[in-house]
Amino acid sequence: MSKDSLAQPADVLRPRHVGAPIKRTEDPRLLTGNGEYTADRKPDRPLHIAFRRSEQPHARIVRIDTAAAQTAPGVVAVLTAEDVADDFKPVIPFSRMANYYATPTLPLASGKVRYVGEAIVAVIATSRYLAEDAVELIEIEFEPLGAVSRSETAVAVDAPLLHEEAGTNVLIAREFRKGDVEADLKGAAVRVGGRFEMTRKAPLAMEPRSYTAEYDARRGAITLYTSSNIPGIVRDAISESLGLPGSRLRVVAPDVGGSFGSKGSLYPEELLICIAARKLGRSLKWTADRLEDVSSSSQAFAEIVDAEMGFDANGIAIALQADVLGDVGAYSIYPWTCGLEPVQVVSFLPGPYKIRSYRGAVRGVATCKPPTGPYRGVGRPISTFVTERLMDLGAKALGLDPIEIRRRNLVRAGEFPYRIASGIIWDKTGFVECLDAAGEAAGYEKLRVRQAEARKDGRLFGIGIASYAELTGIGSRIAVAPGMPINTGSETAKISIDSTGAITAAFGVASHGQGLETTLAQIIADDLGASFEDIRVIQGDSDAVPMSTGTYASRSAVLGGGAAKRASALLRDKIKRVASYLLEANHDDIELSGGKATVIGTDRAVTFRQVAKAVYSDMKTLPAEAREELSASYTYDPINGTTAAATHIVAVEVDPATCFVKIHKYVVAEDCGQIINPMIVDGQVHGGVAQGIGAALFEELVYDEDAQLLSASLVDYMIPSAPDIPDMDVVHIESQSAVAGGFRGMGEGGTIGAPAAIANAIADALSPYDIDVNLLPMNPQRIFGLIEQAKLKAKENPK
Amino acid sequence: MKPARFEYIPPTTLEAAVAALAAANGEGKILAGGQSLLPLLNFRMARPAVLVDLNGMKELSFIELRGENVAIGALTRHREIEHSPLIASRLPVMSAAIRHVAHLAIRNRGTIGGSLSHADPAAELPMMAMFYGASLTVQGPAGRRTIAAKDFFVDALTNCLEPEDIVVEIEFPILQHDGWAFEEVARRFGDFALASIAVSIRRGQFGVGEARVAVMGVADTPLRLEHVEQRLCEIAVDGRTPDRFAEMVTSSVSPNSDVHASAEYRKHLLGELAKRAMQTVLAVKG
Repeated sequence: MSKDSLAQPADVLRPRHVGAPIKRTEDPRLLTGNGEYTADRKPDRPLHIAFRRSEQPHARIVRIDTAAAQTAPGVVAVLTAEDVADDFKPVIPFSRMANYYATPTLPLASGKVRYVGEAIVAVIATSRYLAEDAVELIEIEFEPLGAVSRSETAVAVDAPLLHEEAGTNVLIAREFRKGDVEADLKGAAVRVGGRFEMTRKAPLAMEPRSYTAEYDARRGAITLYTSSNIPGIVRDAISESLGLPGSRLRVVAPDVGGSFGSKGSLYPEELLICIAARKLGRSLKWTADRLEDVSSSSQAFAEIVDAEMGFDANGIAIALQADVLGDVGAYSIYPWTCGLEPVQVVSFLPGPYKIRSYRGAVRGVATCKPPTGPYRGVGRPISTFVTERLMDLGAKALGLDPIEIRRRNLVRAGEFPYRIASGIIWDKTGFVECLDAAGEAAGYEKLRVRQAEARKDGRLFGIGIASYAELTGIGSRIAVAPGMPINTGSETAKISIDSTGAITAAFGVASHGQGLETTLAQIIADDLGASFEDIRVIQGDSDAVPMSTGTYASRSAVLGGGAAKRASALLRDKIKRVASYLLEANHDDIELSGGKATVIGTDRAVTFRQVAKAVYSDMKTLPAEAREELSASYTYDPINGTTAAATHIVAVEVDPATCFVKIHKYVVAEDCGQIINPMIVDGQVHGGVAQGIGAALFEELVYDEDAQLLSASLVDYMIPSAPDIPDMDVVHIESQSAVAGGFRGMGEGGTIGAPAAIANAIADALSPYDIDVNLLPMNPQRIFGLIEQAKLKAKENPK
Repeated sequence: MKPARFEYIPPTTLEAAVAALAAANGEGKILAGGQSLLPLLNFRMARPAVLVDLNGMKELSFIELRGENVAIGALTRHREIEHSPLIASRLPVMSAAIRHVAHLAIRNRGTIGGSLSHADPAAELPMMAMFYGASLTVQGPAGRRTIAAKDFFVDALTNCLEPEDIVVEIEFPILQHDGWAFEEVARRFGDFALASIAVSIRRGQFGVGEARVAVMGVADTPLRLEHVEQRLCEIAVDGRTPDRFAEMVTSSVSPNSDVHASAEYRKHLLGELAKRAMQTVLAVKG
């Protein structure tokens, strides 16, 4: 490590790695093409899978004729649901939630299909080319059952049912209540509201989903390489489904090229590849092409929210009510359930604000689309969009500045821990501090002056603010998904020093781009007193790491980091005990730093390597009872977890000619607690905001009335490209959290704040037309339509 | 997403290429830059039995001045057109338009013959062929013939060629103009155009003497708006000309709606671009 990467370069004796902008240790491998992704695996003579997918949105499968495909060149097997029926047990996304129907996860569509893109038949051949050739020879007779393409029509009494056994298309319904919302709204000085909509998104990781199942005939064992961010959950689910013990089912998530949520659930193809590998006794490969990835990986958002907020005359928000209709797609996804996204919306709608009374009702309804699942931000991009729009509408109605109305309503320093109206408890976080810091960094007053000048020239210049808070690194007291039985509350670190003095730190938390190999090593280097370069972090391999549910919900820095700290402390003690023998010094007089144990105040020292040699390799240096393996593990549970918060401020200009939105300025002030690596934190903010810009301005999965996907390619599913992403200023408020290390999770925040801030900025820019922005993405043709409507209205009702 | 089986033939002469296409009995396709064809193959939307690769024929790659025309070989890459001083000085509108063609990697591979043959209604080079009134030289089993751009583009992604025809070169007449403009709006840098317009004028004794107007993204083929060109020569040039021009242009197209833009929005964009283009054109002193 170079000196300039140290937090305090002057502090030579105790270099601190936590807080230092250390370059990611995984990058040289990944950037030079030396990473190993799932598709890079080269098992012995693998077979390749291609899926025949449904072109029908909702239909009974009357007959499948695979005869021609079976005899096609290179084809080894053709499997339908019927062929594998006895090879697995369905995986059920269980939850204790009332009013929830758990749809089983099956490897192939059985009996009927429920969305376009659902896998019906697997063709296994000697190459993907030949497999795809054979797929074309499969004939399927369907009996159409009627497409259910929108959530509003799915709840109609005469709507076709996707899951007849459920008796309804409403797969989940829930309501939160606190106080007397009706009375508070009636008594409010100002009431604002509207119908808000966030359309469907694709998570769109650079690496599409990919699975390689390697069959070991000697042991009848399978190693599944999977592009998953929850390899532990995948392992347990497949083990249970296939009746294959962990000793014969190893699951490895090697280098994973992004997820954004799309690789955070168990997939039918993941089950199928293991079933087929065992059935055929062969190694198998499948990588989704982009079309398959967009049309069969979990999707996001798709909610309509009718919301109303009441303020008193001083601009204090006193009541909030919302009805959320979530279009959850055809299935409830494992393990998170279809409640994950829409229920989170009602959980987080009150946001960081002290709203007295609340009613939030949610229905998640089945439609003929791929299931929704986790997506960076989960629920909060929409809840923040709605609440922050309401705050701005309130400010406008009351003649208050948007910053001022937020300042009056945010939970303040002395009021933590604070339980908001939906029941979520915020721990001490810099809510108001973020608001103030963002305002200052953005030069808010000057921006308003600039806006006034622009308005004089007839330009559509707007400023948008969004404040939000999120739960991160949550422990065992709260389930990540409502009522889900899987333990998401703890994580284990196992740190060992081998006989050469090298340190291996094994973590269950997987990495799919977060840089955990770097940040976890930074923590261990400090807490163990080790040399950063000596530490190797290993992740994602069920044979080599402790059981873990994976990386999601902004948990890995908090839970993995906390486990790293505690395990380091245990191992530190062991090293000190050995060193005290070797140095003939008191345990308490020994200090560990930079891979050496030193007697404080002297130059007497032994390296970790010498310590290791004494423990493992020398016959006589240590008495037998002192030869204790240099290894420690700790399972850390942050119980409640912690809060993270931020304020985003953005200045935009709408070009009235093209209706394009140009972002002039983007500022994020965020509180992620103790920063482990500021370079990685900034990168997470930049990437998150870029994704939020996509949600705000570009991205939309468009399904027509027949539930056919119209934006299935990257020509039609628009993501922002580099020129669309502005420079960003990121300000860090490092208020220490209550968890080990004082960390807070921060990988999702950018995506939570950006859509709301941009929506508010566009609404502000279009305020001369009195236009309400209540649907995202606000793409140019929508802005054009809104302006045209407003002009028409103005013509009809001249003031 | 793998292509269906096909036979690959890399001929070294045009005659052999035409023969290979003729032997394929309508089931042949020409591979030039492959930037549009390969995705179509991978989606299995195109499934030729034979792929005839022209890339071995370096003689099809050139840009040269030929009297009052600039001739461009069919295999010339977009990137070569973009960097050609000859194009910049003689076909400045084309030089401006080519910068809007996709992204660098695509411009490195894509060819003018391929782009014209693909006939995408929102692609710049077909529009330039219409704008300049280019003529395409085509080699078929009966030898060479010349086709005017206006006869070449039949429909979206459809040209007038027979399956065994190969575009060999394109001649672009050099236009005399006192002012020109190229305007395009795409959703993102490098995307296909939502709307685009190219305009050039020669000043006459009174107002505009000659005009050239072409648009794209607003119909199934790029369009040259000859009646608008004519009208421009009939009206007085004053401060209202850009608005009047925009009105003329938008009233002569009826675009379709798709996921990227409604018909109304496309029309609006075209009007804005037309106005902007005419302001630029008239700002240049004659």
